[in-house]
Parts: sequence; structure tokens; C-alpha cells
Amino acid sequence: MNEKDAPILVVDDESDMCWILEKIICKEGFISMKALSGMEAIAMTENNIFGLAFLDAKLTDIDGLELARQLRNADASLPIVIVSGYYYQDDQYIKAALQSGLITAFVGKPFDHDDIVKVIANYKLRQAG
Amino acid sequence: MQDNSSITADHKPADNKLSGRYEHLYSMLLDAIPSSVLLIDRNITVVSANRNFLEKGHRTIANTIGFQLEEVFPSVILDQMNILKRIFRVIETEEPVKGGRLTYRAPGVPIRIYYYSILPFRWQGQVEGVLLLMDDVTEQVRLSEEVQRVERHLASIVDSASDIILSLDRKGMILTWNRAAERVTGYSTEMARERFFTDFCIDEDVQEIQDILSRIDASERTQMKECLLLTSKEELIPVSWVFSPMRDSFNHLVGVVVVGRDLTEKRKFEIELQQSQKFAALGVMAGGIAHEIRNPLTICSSSAQFLMEEDGTPEFRLECAKKIHRGIQRTSAIIENLLKYSHPSQMTMNTLFDLVELLEETKALVTYHAKNHLVEFDTSFPEEPVMVMGVPTLLQQVFMNLFLNAIKAMPTGGRLGINIEVVHSDVRGQVTDTGCGISHRLIEKIFDPFYTTSTVGQGTGLGLSLCYSIVKQHQGSITVESV
Repeated sequence: MNEKDAPILVVDDESDMCWILEKIICKEGFISMKALSGMEAIAMTENNIFGLAFLDAKLTDIDGLELARQLRNADASLPIVIVSGYYYQDDQYIKAALQSGLITAFVGKPFDHDDIVKVIANYKLRQAG
Repeated sequence: MQDNSSITADHKPADNKLSGRYEHLYSMLLDAIPSSVLLIDRNITVVSANRNFLEKGHRTIANTIGFQLEEVFPSVILDQMNILKRIFRVIETEEPVKGGRLTYRAPGVPIRIYYYSILPFRWQGQVEGVLLLMDDVTEQVRLSEEVQRVERHLASIVDSASDIILSLDRKGMILTWNRAAERVTGYSTEMARERFFTDFCIDEDVQEIQDILSRIDASERTQMKECLLLTSKEELIPVSWVFSPMRDSFNHLVGVVVVGRDLTEKRKFEIELQQSQKFAALGVMAGGIAHEIRNPLTICSSSAQFLMEEDGTPEFRLECAKKIHRGIQRTSAIIENLLKYSHPSQMTMNTLFDLVELLEETKALVTYHAKNHLVEFDTSFPEEPVMVMGVPTLLQQVFMNLFLNAIKAMPTGGRLGINIEVVHSDVRGQVTDTGCGISHRLIEKIFDPFYTTSTVGQGTGLGLSLCYSIVKQHQGSITVESV
């Protein structure tokens, strides 16, 4: 499968949240897959290669940043975006994660759809180039 | 007993031998007694003086008998007390003078106080002279003044105390009533004495108070109780009482000492403390609540954004609208729960309420916070409502504290168990966590006020001691176990 067409993973324990992101992803012409828990997300990476992942920061079974670390262990090149109502832009953990490259972007909740579209566009660009 | 208001000596002993013995007896008596005795004739000459008088005056028989009274008696006293005048009076009227008091003051000499009597001495129908009797009562007077002083001091202590101090007899009747009692109840000592202590208690407490008094009567051990006191203005004041057995100098139980402390101020302080605790808890949960509101807000925001776009089937648009509606309902519920919690509790009266419902609400408030710490709930409630009598906001505070403590004990996540069991007419609640536990030597301290293992600014240490006091107020008990 062409990496350009690799599905985008959405992880959030609220299914309505997944519904929103999946709608936006679909509009941008990509395929999405969703997981409602950290465990589910990790299980899915065993059978799939993802091109991008949107993670909620606080899942029922794992912290979002910790999940990011684990996903990166499995796939070091996976770009990860944290979508969160818990953390905020200037949060020290988010800043550290951005600096270290653990995550590529942070989007707070609620968000403008444009912000999500921008992130996806960047990913598209990276894939192309 | 012979009346000695006037000494008559008409009795003539039949036997000379006996008469000699009587003389000897009286002579011995006069010299043995601690009083001073002078026999003075109508010419104010000293006819007889006993040993005590001679010793006290540093005199001898030789320089006393046959002399004028003025020559042997300190003139200071004679003048001060008009002794001579009184003696003449007694001789004239043949009436005794008893119970006179004279004070001997001289520079450089400690003051002495005497009681004196002047009695007419009759011999064969004639008043031949007078008997002057003097008793040194200096010590007695001093002691009596000392006793009065001590009594006044003790009375002053009892009256100055800010606590209510009463004494009751063995039947519970009021014997003494201090100033604090007057102040707090509005009843004066006159009004209170001879009424019963239970007259000032509310009906529900009378039996227990009587039981306490019986117990003291039987076992003589100190008892304590908190109950309401009735004032003259028909107010009810919460008082903390200590009942102690009162004994006489033979160690027999004679009554009960009751000391009472007005709890009004303490209760006010407790209510303020509860409020501040409530808000401290709120602070801890604020982050979680804010986060949780953001999710429904995000769904509303995104649904609205979809609606603003051109495309979208009618079904899709309907779905968006529904999601907005649901999102707002959810947010409202969260906010309502929060408001209910943060309302200052004017409710201090007991009401009947469903404990399970209260716990569900409390759990909802803490859910967001729990989730942020990866803590999951394990609840086990009975199916039917569990109706209890109490103050809902206070009990909510108790469980809130326990939940937050449990979550704090599980920094990397875990399970928080809430279990409610009905056992006969008791309700048993259990809050468990899978956290780090409490060490054996520290576990006794956890209910102590201000005891905390949190760092400065993170916890006041008042939570559990408040829980303890609230649970006690509800006639319950709270225990802790760490496995």
C-alpha cells in the first residue's frame, strides 16, 4: 500500500469526537480508522501502518502522551497530533513533547476545523516531498 | 452541766478532807485551762490569778495578788476597753457581761484578740467581787479569716470562669450556679437553685442525662455529653458537658460537679471550615471539570461548523443539530451538579434523603478528576434507594474527601471502589483504592486535625478530621484499614 494512502488513526474514548475528526479527514480525501481506547489503538498498529494519528490527551486507560511514546516505539516515523481539552497550548508537557519531536502538533478543544485541515495539509506535503 | 452565768458557791462540803480535795481540784483546773482567770474584789484588788494569766503577763503570785487591777493589767487594754467601768457595772447590777472582744495592739508585739467575760462572784448571798475570764482567740480569728478568704477566692474562681460550673446533689438538684451559667442561660442563681439540671435540657435528652447521673452515683466515674441547653429566651445552645463526682472530706459521694462549654462559636467555626474544605476540594476538581465540559462544547462547535458548510445531506444536518442539542444538555448537567455542590450550605437540619443518589452525584463530580488520573470506578450500590437521616451536603463532603484522597493515593491510576451495604438499620459505606496504602505507624494519626502527608499548599490536613466530626455528628463511626 502506498504510504500516501496510509489511513489516519483517530483515538478518543468519546465516539462523537471520533465522528467529528473522521468526517473532516474524509472530506480531505483520506481514509480514517478509529480506536476508543489506548489498548485498542496499540492493537490496531500491529495490523496496520498509519500515516498520521490524532490522539486525545486523556483516555480512560492511558495518558495521551504516554500512548504517543508507545506508538512511536512501534513506528518511529509516525507523526502524532494531540487533540486535547485537558492540556493547553503553553503547557510544559506539550511544549516539551513538541520540542523533543514526540508530537508534531497540538490542537486544543474545541477547535476550528481549519486547524485540523492545516495539520492534514502538512502531512500531505510531507508525504509528497 | 452547771450554768456558769453567775457563780454561786453555797455548797458547803460536809467533809473537811473532801473540801481540801475540791480546793485542790479547782486549783488544778484553774491552772490547767488556757483561759486567764482573775478574781477581783469590790475594791478592784486582785484576789486570785490563775497560772495562764501569770504566765502571759510574766508575773508572779507575789507581785499580783493583793494588787490593784490597774497595776497588774496592761493599762492600754484597761483604757481601751473600759474594763473598770464594766466591772463596776457588773458589781452594781449583778448581771454578767459575756462575749466581749478586746484587741491588744502594741508596737513591736503581734496583735492579739481576746474574748472576755465578767461574772459577778456571789458568796453567801453577797456579790463579793467579779470573775474576769479571758480567752486568747487570736489563732481562731486568724484561721476563720483565712478560711473566709480562701472561700471567697474559690468562689471568685468559679464565678470568673467563662465555662458554666454547677454543682448538683445526688438527685440532680442544682446546688450552685455560677456567673457564666447566669450569662448563658439568662437565669439567675435564685431562679436556678432548687430546680433540677434536667429542667434546662430538651425533652429528648432528659432520660440520657438522668442515666448519666445514675451512673455517676453508682460508679463515680466522670461522664461527658454534648447536648442542648434551654435558655430563658427559649433558645437552644449547644454545650459540651463534663459530669464529675463530688466527694466530701470522708471521700463519700455527695453530688456532681458539672462543667459546660458553650459550643456555639465552635460550631460556627466548623461550618466555616466545612465551606473552605468544600472549596479546596473544588479547586482540586476544577481542572477535570473544565476538561470535561470541553468535550460536549467541541461536539457543539464542530457540529455547528459542519452546519455552516454548504454541503451535507439533510440527514447529516439533522444529526449535527441533534449533537449540538445533546452536547448542551450534557454541559448543563455538569454545571448544575457543580452549582449544587458549591452552594453555601444553609442546610444544617437533618432531612431524609437517598444516600445512593447522593453518591451518584458525588461520583459524577469526581469522575472527570478521576479520569484524568486514570482511575476507574467500581461501584456496588443496592438496587433500592437507601434512605438515611442526615445533612446531605455534609455527608457529600465526607465522601468527596474520601474519593479525592483515594485518587491522590493512586498517582499512576487504579480502581476506586464504592460499596454501600444495608445491615439491619445501619448503612455501611466503604471506599477502597488500589493505591500506595498508609503505613502502620501513621495510620492512627490520619484523623488528627492538620495531619497531612501532602506538601505545603497541597493539602491542609483538615479533611479527614472534618469527616470524622461530621460522621460523629450523624451518630456514625468511621474507621480505616490499610492492607
